[in-house]
Amino acid sequence: MKNEGGKENNRHSTPGKKEAETLIQTVEDYRREKEILLALSNELTKVREKNDLLHLFKKGIKGLFYISHTIITLIDYKDETYTPFLLDNEGSPIRTHDRYQEMVHSRFSLNEPFIQSVLQASAPISFLLKEVMDLPQSPPFLQVNYEKGVTEILMTKLMKEGKPIGFLHIYTDKPEGFSAEFRSIINGIVPQISGAVSNILKNEELLKEEKEKSFLLDFSSEIAAVRTKDDLARAVHGAFRKLNPSGGFVIRRINEDKHTLSIYVYDMPNVKNRKIIKELENTSFEMNDGLQNRILNSAIPVLLNTEREIRRGITSTYLQYWKQLGIENFVGIRLRNGETNLGILLLDIDEINVRLLKGICAQISIAMANIIANDQVSKTQGEQAFLLDFSKDITRVRTREELQHAIFTVLDKTMHTKLAMIRVLEDDGIHLSAFMYDKSLFTKVKDQFDNMAAHRITVDEPYTAQVLASEEGIMFSVEEEIKSGNDYAGLWRSTGLKNMYALPLRVGDKSIGTIWILANRLSPLLVKGICAQISIAIANIQANEKLLTYKKKLEIENDYLKEQIKTIYNFSEIIGNGEAMQRVYRLISLVADSNTSVLITGETGTGKELVARAIHNASGRKDKLMVKVNCAALPANLIESELFGHERGAFTGATDRRIGKFELANNSTLFLDEIGELPPDAQAKLLRVIQERELERIGGKQTIRLDVRLIAATNRNLDEEVKAGRFRADLYFRLNVFPIHLPPLRERQEDIEPLANFFIQKYTRSTGRKIKSISPKVIQKLRSYTWPGNVRELEHLIERSILLAEDGKIDDLFIPESTGTDKTNPALLLNRSLDEVERSYIIETLKRCGGKISGTGSAADILKIPGNTLHSKMKKLGISKSDYFS
Amino acid sequence: MKILVIGGSGLIGTKVVALLRQKGHQVIAASPSTGINTITGEGLAEATKDTDVVIDLANSPSFEDNAVMEFFQTAGRNLLGAEISAGVKHHVALSIVGVDIMQNIGYMRAKMAQEDIIRQSGVPYTIIRSTQFLEFIGGIANQATKGNEVHLSDVKFQPIASDDVAAFVAKYALAAPTNGIVEIAGPERFDMYDVATRYLKYINDPRTVVPNDQPAYYGGAVPRTALVPAGHAELGTISFGKWLSTQLQQA
Ligand SMILES: NC(=O)c1ccc[n+]([C@@H]2O[C@H](COP(=O)([O-])OP(=O)(O)OC[C@H]3O[C@@H](n4cnc5c(N)ncnc54)[C@H](OP(=O)(O)O)[C@@H]3O)[C@@H](O)[C@H]2O)c1
Repeated sequence: MKNEGGKENNRHSTPGKKEAETLIQTVEDYRREKEILLALSNELTKVREKNDLLHLFKKGIKGLFYISHTIITLIDYKDETYTPFLLDNEGSPIRTHDRYQEMVHSRFSLNEPFIQSVLQASAPISFLLKEVMDLPQSPPFLQVNYEKGVTEILMTKLMKEGKPIGFLHIYTDKPEGFSAEFRSIINGIVPQISGAVSNILKNEELLKEEKEKSFLLDFSSEIAAVRTKDDLARAVHGAFRKLNPSGGFVIRRINEDKHTLSIYVYDMPNVKNRKIIKELENTSFEMNDGLQNRILNSAIPVLLNTEREIRRGITSTYLQYWKQLGIENFVGIRLRNGETNLGILLLDIDEINVRLLKGICAQISIAMANIIANDQVSKTQGEQAFLLDFSKDITRVRTREELQHAIFTVLDKTMHTKLAMIRVLEDDGIHLSAFMYDKSLFTKVKDQFDNMAAHRITVDEPYTAQVLASEEGIMFSVEEEIKSGNDYAGLWRSTGLKNMYALPLRVGDKSIGTIWILANRLSPLLVKGICAQISIAIANIQANEKLLTYKKKLEIENDYLKEQIKTIYNFSEIIGNGEAMQRVYRLISLVADSNTSVLITGETGTGKELVARAIHNASGRKDKLMVKVNCAALPANLIESELFGHERGAFTGATDRRIGKFELANNSTLFLDEIGELPPDAQAKLLRVIQERELERIGGKQTIRLDVRLIAATNRNLDEEVKAGRFRADLYFRLNVFPIHLPPLRERQEDIEPLANFFIQKYTRSTGRKIKSISPKVIQKLRSYTWPGNVRELEHLIERSILLAEDGKIDDLFIPESTGTDKTNPALLLNRSLDEVERSYIIETLKRCGGKISGTGSAADILKIPGNTLHSKMKKLGISKSDYFS
Repeated sequence: MKILVIGGSGLIGTKVVALLRQKGHQVIAASPSTGINTITGEGLAEATKDTDVVIDLANSPSFEDNAVMEFFQTAGRNLLGAEISAGVKHHVALSIVGVDIMQNIGYMRAKMAQEDIIRQSGVPYTIIRSTQFLEFIGGIANQATKGNEVHLSDVKFQPIASDDVAAFVAKYALAAPTNGIVEIAGPERFDMYDVATRYLKYINDPRTVVPNDQPAYYGGAVPRTALVPAGHAELGTISFGKWLSTQLQQA
């Protein structure tokens, strides 16, 4: 039964002596009680900590009375419960009970009869466990104690300012229970115990506050020393280690894009998986993922449950990782400097101390803001330094190679990116061609890129149009462009970069092109600065290139001019008024004024070029230079580019764009010497150009319309070349519109003397020697020679003879021996079968001998074969009279 | 169920807490004095943990326009943020009948802001709009007192006893969220000056009530029927008379 109150109940009164004894005893008891009370009260007022009180229970109370254990519970009014606060359970029998831990952490309801009766009692009240433990709603600790042999409990409520704050539970396992004296003493010290408990609470509160304060103070002095991100990581790491040695933390920073967050500093001691760490380090997490934005929008720390957030449908991968890592709950707090959110702090804890966390976060935020500002400043300084270097570099730039180097370097250093493309507006103001790009950016899609780069676009191409129309350029999100079906976006995506920054290149108000840079993020100011410089550099290079081309053209023209002057001088050297030449002159004057192609044939040295120039100079094109190409003088692989030109990079070694001779001869005459030597490929191309009157440079996409007058020359028999399949018939027909055949010198006997005199005059002028005459013997010698080298041979012979002449008179000539092959025009021998050689040689000999086959001075005589043999040879080779009488 | 009553130590809060505990629910009476503060966030995460229903019956310590707005906004955001994170299934709040048509009054603007935050939060909710509590009549008289006169209008007035309010709140808290507004009011409708007159007389207050015909509430002009339910409302059972009699017993 419950037993309430103090000593009265147990004090019986007996009469007489016994009465006196009892009285003495009673007085004695009171004295002892008073002493104990005084001692305990004294002790109790000194109590500051739980340990002090425990000590007192152990020594002060247990030393005097038998009890099994003591517990103090405290009331929590917010949910009307009481819960263990202090356990003096040394030797307590219930420590071994299964439910012991559960009891220690339980909150017992105030709303049940057992504890209500304690609350209503005005003094300590005892219960026999077996009587109360099974009553409805009785707290389970009664049962637990009973099961470990405890028999009785003495409950005393602890008060503060008239309000119960908790209970003192005293237990005994002795059948005699609690003595009256004990009850009386306990009742006597309740106020002191209550006071002691209040003191402990107050003290704990103070200590906690004190600890928090000194923690924050330490932290703030560490934070004050923070200069870099690493410092910050160290300081935060140290601080959280003190708070929660096993837990980790993550600080995520809002990225410059303002819509994602990435890890800034962290410590995840429990994460051993490198892959997960890498993943968490390298991912930018969407700010509005349903979780990060909640933390950022909350002024107070938020306690989050991993599983619940996943169930809510938040898909950010970090949650999955945390789940894998077994992190059940975590706390998220925003980091904010003034009104600006900087990021969030995530802590692996499941309790929130608002004051402490806010204090820590305020400091972290300041440090972070400082570091970010510092980084920004040094970044800006760095960028400015680079810009300065860049502008220095770029003012020195003269060539594309130098510009490319400067641009690639500056993009890499300042923005860690590469140049996707610079397109430059062409002179027509409509087309844009690729000017510069970094191939290494698009290695994964090389072919596609090359294709697109080679494609000349116009200013109306939608993306280019947008960029050119924009003031400061446009940022295209690669993802969005993919969705909207932009053809280029596939290329962009292959780089893994998120945005394409496209800016107009302008010099003053004039657009000169566009620049395209792929990056995740670029500093707008920097890009603008760089683009301005690039624009100027490109404009300079363009001007420079134009100047160079102009200069080159001038040089070439100059060469031609020199040559022309030489040939003009030479032209007057078309000497000879013989019948054969009269016919040639007639033909020249006939054809000159038209635009008709002319094919000049004739042996080496017959003056085919002179005739070509004569045609040109007599034509309406004479104010322009005639351009000459010797088709035999160039290797087959270069002849095409020589004729048609090529674009930069058209083939290995084509380091510059080159203007072909055709283009050079536009509105003028192109003289193709030795046309018979043109390789088949070039023949085909030449034919196309002649037919279409336009050409494309090799490697170029642009077609150029041409107005060129063609004069071709050859010492070959093109007819035969065609038959032998070495020369295209169609080309031959195109060229052979107006053939002019130049007779060999041996057929212009009457012109030999005037020619010889002319050369003598020419060379006496240039050598300063005085030659007055040629002996008739020499003239005779000249006439009888066959002149396989024609006029040119004559000229060289005269030149040599003048040098060797003595006392102003040429009386001998050094005509080569008319034996061996050198007597024959080697050109005639080229590519011919033995029969052909033999045939033409016999015909020639017959011609020279006036058709006389045998006898003295006959062909057989010269050929040193019998007349009959010659006859049969002629028959076999099919030589008829018409062949040598023409 | 675990139920968190914010403002559990207030006039309505205490009663709601008691009612729900009587019904055997685990109730946390939250207030700054019990270590749960919706403004600082202190104790909030812990208190909302594993909680099924949150009933917000807190009131601003200051009624100054800016302060009251700041209070309801900050408290609302913090509380609902914590509820979302803790997975609370029902949020119940006590608002005021006519709050939307008295936006010229600072306090009403603040209560409206509180309602808006709830509606936008995504947490299932029930907003209970109540008429003025009978317990509040003294306060109304005080703010309208000039010297020895109490100037009050004939604005329609249908006050409700706090016991009735608490009963309704407890009832709605235990029901499924309506995700809308319900209105509660007292059983009788009066002119405001009339109620004040009778009240002052009953408690032997020497002040005299001077009626006027400019309907107003807390100094702001309001439509004559702003303070009473326009449509359907649940009515309390405690009449003005019955309430008055209990007041004297308590006094
Ligand atoms: N009065 C009316 O006529 C009327 C009519 C309709 C609706 N209402 C609404 O009914 C609600 C309750 O009114 P009431 O008269 O019962 O209020 P009340 O008696 O003034 O009680 C206000 C409660 O809010 C608590 N509180 C104050 N600041 C807090 C904070 N920062 N965090 C947590 N709790 C805080 C107080 O705690 P402490 O005790 O620790 O200070 C107290 O428990 C109010 O929202 C009010 O707008 C009133």
